[in-house]
Amino acid sequence: MKKRARFALYAIAAVLLLSASGPNNSYAADLTPEQTDLIKSNCLSIKGSLNQLHATDALLRVNRGQIYESMGTKLMASFNSRLSNNSLDNKGLVAVTTSYRSALATFRTDYQAYEQQIAAAIKIDCTKEPASFHASLESARIKRTIVRTDIVRMNQYIDDYRSAVNDFMLNFERVTGQNS
Amino acid sequence: MDEKPTTTPTDEQLSFWDEHRFMLLIVGTLLISIVLVSISIFIYNVSGSAQLDLSRPGYQSVSGKVDDTDPITDYSPFGPVNKATVNEFTKIYDTQAAKAKAVDAFNGDPLNPEVLEFSDPATSTE
Repeated sequence: MKKRARFALYAIAAVLLLSASGPNNSYAADLTPEQTDLIKSNCLSIKGSLNQLHATDALLRVNRGQIYESMGTKLMASFNSRLSNNSLDNKGLVAVTTSYRSALATFRTDYQAYEQQIAAAIKIDCTKEPASFHASLESARIKRTIVRTDIVRMNQYIDDYRSAVNDFMLNFERVTGQNS
Repeated sequence: MDEKPTTTPTDEQLSFWDEHRFMLLIVGTLLISIVLVSISIFIYNVSGSAQLDLSRPGYQSVSGKVDDTDPITDYSPFGPVNKATVNEFTKIYDTQAAKAKAVDAFNGDPLNPEVLEFSDPATSTE
């Protein structure tokens, strides 16, 4: 139930993020003649910005990605295994780890979709096809927002796991204290 | 006594494939290579490896900036569980969690038409 509420919150947050830019938001809006002219005249500089963003986001994906991957495999999974090897109850921790892995898999897929979309936008000749370029860019913008939501979700699971470790420790101390 | 004329291998009539078997070998090798390379490229693109490959054209500016200086410490899945070992784990975990959250990744809206300077002037001035 908690999970459902959390996912609903994320969905609402994503929708709010998309609509946050108010009157300047142009997700579904048609391209005005003025915008068409601006795209054509600023085509080179827009492409330059996109190329730069494409490269920096790729670096971000690699650097953040390896930290997130390692958190799951080298820390969460190892700690769960240690508890299991000592015949201790690790159900709560395993549940958070499973959710975290699922969020990580979603992040990988969503980033791939975003990267392919921005690469497709860069390939479009904005002087000849401004409308198509704009549509592709808007799609990439939405996909980037989804990637951002995935990051927020993973950070939340990292905090959840830490809380679960605290809960485990409290319980463990209580039980071992009673036993000794 | 009639004797059949003996034929040496050089006199035999070679079939088309026998005659061109070296060419066939080359063409076959090339075809197999093309198929295998196509499958590899397909897997490279579909698996998400392409997104992690900073040696691709267009990524030269960032390819040297991959953070490989501080590898994450492994926590052994074997060993006792007590306050000291759990504290050791939480210490490593907190350090890595802080690193994961240090950068507000994919924040902002760099693809906003206003940022890219092609927003509608009529709506921008409102």
